[in-house]
Amino acid sequence: MKISMNELKAALRRCYEASGYFVGNYEDAANMILWLEKHGLDGLEELKRALPFITADRDKPLSKVVYEDSTSAIIDSNGRSALNCIAASVDLAHAKALESGIATVTVHNCHNRKFILKALTDCGRRGISVAAYWRNGSQSVTEHTAAIKAGERYPSYAEAITNLKAGADDKQALTIICSSRVDLTTSLQQSPGNHHVQYVSAQQVEQNKEHSIDSGIEIDEDLWAEINSIGTGVLVENSDQSRMGAG
Amino acid sequence: MTTLAAINASLRGDNALALRPADQVMNLERLGALHQSRLSFMRALVRRIMRERWQIETRRFDLDEQGYGTVIYQVQAPHGLFNFVIFSDYLSDEERNDRVIATKWDLTMALVDGEVDDIYLEKLRQNVPKQEAGRVDSRVFVLSRANRSARNFNYVVDQLAQGEQPDISKIAEVGYLYRTTAVYGSGKLGMADWDKVQSRYTDFARPFAAEMFVCLMLRNFSLTQAEHIAKHKSPESYQPMQDEIKRYFGIGNSTGLGMAPYLVNHPHLINQWVEMRELALARVRALGQIDMRIRIRFQQLIDRCSQHTEQTVTEDAWQTDNNQLVLNDLKALQQQVEENFSDWNELIQWSEANCSVQGQEMLVSIMLELYPELVEDLDDYQAAEEFLDLDPLMPVQALKAVIEDRYRWALDIDFGAEGSREIFWYRSEEKMEPRLGHSACDHGKEKQMALGVGYAVRKCYDQLSEYVQLHPEHTTARFMVARPKLRGIVRRIQSMNRCIYGDIQANLLDRDILPMHLLRAKLAFFGVSKFDPKSKLWVRNTMFQGAPLLEDIGKPFNDDWFMPLAPTTENNH
Repeated sequence: MKISMNELKAALRRCYEASGYFVGNYEDAANMILWLEKHGLDGLEELKRALPFITADRDKPLSKVVYEDSTSAIIDSNGRSALNCIAASVDLAHAKALESGIATVTVHNCHNRKFILKALTDCGRRGISVAAYWRNGSQSVTEHTAAIKAGERYPSYAEAITNLKAGADDKQALTIICSSRVDLTTSLQQSPGNHHVQYVSAQQVEQNKEHSIDSGIEIDEDLWAEINSIGTGVLVENSDQSRMGAG
Repeated sequence: MTTLAAINASLRGDNALALRPADQVMNLERLGALHQSRLSFMRALVRRIMRERWQIETRRFDLDEQGYGTVIYQVQAPHGLFNFVIFSDYLSDEERNDRVIATKWDLTMALVDGEVDDIYLEKLRQNVPKQEAGRVDSRVFVLSRANRSARNFNYVVDQLAQGEQPDISKIAEVGYLYRTTAVYGSGKLGMADWDKVQSRYTDFARPFAAEMFVCLMLRNFSLTQAEHIAKHKSPESYQPMQDEIKRYFGIGNSTGLGMAPYLVNHPHLINQWVEMRELALARVRALGQIDMRIRIRFQQLIDRCSQHTEQTVTEDAWQTDNNQLVLNDLKALQQQVEENFSDWNELIQWSEANCSVQGQEMLVSIMLELYPELVEDLDDYQAAEEFLDLDPLMPVQALKAVIEDRYRWALDIDFGAEGSREIFWYRSEEKMEPRLGHSACDHGKEKQMALGVGYAVRKCYDQLSEYVQLHPEHTTARFMVARPKLRGIVRRIQSMNRCIYGDIQANLLDRDILPMHLLRAKLAFFGVSKFDPKSKLWVRNTMFQGAPLLEDIGKPFNDDWFMPLAPTTENNH
């Protein structure tokens, strides 16, 4: 079925608010998912993978800076979803890049890392160039990279299936490079063993958005029902007393 | 024509005009005292339609003798072709309900991009009358419904059928035949998103322009339908309504709590609307020459505003008192102008010392009315990009100073005092309707919406103060990693600090909060009049009263329907 971008955003906000995300964060989560989907980068597929764990982060410790100097930092996200922690990591890289020209932040133990693209785009729009790289999967390893130039509105994105073996160190890890002086662009190398290499240029990302603006978002009815069903958690039961407060 | 650069130079920097301060303008009581003005969205829309001579024609008129059926208007605007589709269905008096929770209405309607063929019309017919229970596609960009003001409608039909005109005094009491009870846009129910409306439909690329247009078309249809029914009721004696009287009919509107969360959740947009209004005022104060023509017109407008206020009928005691205050203020203003008036700044200062807030804001609206050349070019700048961006490099000490400077109003509130957090705002499971709860007697506080900006600022400030003691050298980015739960409010504080006016300055959790002020503020920007509160939670009002008719398009137009007055005709003394 077709829905509008605004409908998806509003439903996702309710969904994440009902799942215990705090104020400001449930808007971020909704925006990150919508951003991927409306730019043709499979936000709803990512969401399907994240939904079964939507309440899992409630009891996990918050992200922690485990190392920091003027040009770098290492953050342990304690197994949290990028939807509730990656924006702060990008902000830290952003601040360090503004101070030092270029900075690197490495994030460990973070799931759903593709959602970082919205945060990267926000940096680009505000005049900072950013690149990110991460690997995914324990059996068949995929690698991913995205980058945006300073002042641009759209990033590029690439992914490939590799023949690499999963290493314990890079599991759920992600590297962010951020610069206020250098325009960063990324693409995956033609490494031996890489296949299904997919590169989406910034121009294609923009065209995907134009299509979404014209036509709305195609969504699986079951997924739409599930998002809305979780979102009912923010609604308050109706009663005669409750109706007294209606305008 | 002005430019963004010229506007920014007038708002900030060495050459900025003297604007009223944020703590004065963003005070909730003052926002709730705003009146319609030349910059209101309805005025801007009608100016555009009249000056661009939009061609609006009836393409289909399938109404039976009772007025039930389908009507399609085709709208040829400079940048696009649109169709406005209305379905008129029978509704019993018992089923008529203005609340959001209603499921049937007298009229339902949609504004559609491009041509509407029979297949598409059928698709609309299957969905538009269901409103929230239906789905439309992204060719539709406004969906609305309306209920008859049954008493007024039947009276007008009877009068016209008998060859009589409606009594003006009755219209002054209720100045419309239909009330809209919801006007949906911006992607609801599958419609086009605002991104699409703004980028693809240039003719409607201003906030709420399409929604206002639907209300204007509804007003036109209501008059046409009443005449149609009257004509069939008694073809021999029927007389059409005089144009002067038609223009005095607006369209009714019921607005409830839904608008309040909108204002809090769109702070950039509200700031932009306020900035443009205040910039217009600052231009008039600095550049508005006072000559004999202006003096005469000023006196005429004061007189017109008095009469308009006198003709405003409400049963609400609070609103009645407010209207009386405005009448007193206008009388005093008239006297002041006759005795001692040569400078706008002095007059504003006089009003601040001698008039109610409603009276002060009435003076502002009149001033904007006097100088179209200083005001109208700002109505192209009512939209805003709504990015709540974090400034990660801002030192935590600077962030603390920003809160102390821009949110002093919030820090001054004692949130420990009784009643200061008694109210909570929530969404009911009944159509997700926004409602107000009292902590003492209502359930659901744990599910409240995050509308307590002042309280959130206070909590942020307390935690930030502790953090600054420990890490005075840290940036906001570092603070956010340590206190991620504050990310939303910090981002808002920093973003609003980049605006001139910023947040509405009120504790929306307070026991004594008047949501009416929020509703009224937004409605004033829309351009409505005749506020008639039905409780502190919802208000009836009138849209487009005095506006030109569709038949007037292409004829001379002087954009002078501010604070419209009851017409005086031969049959209506």
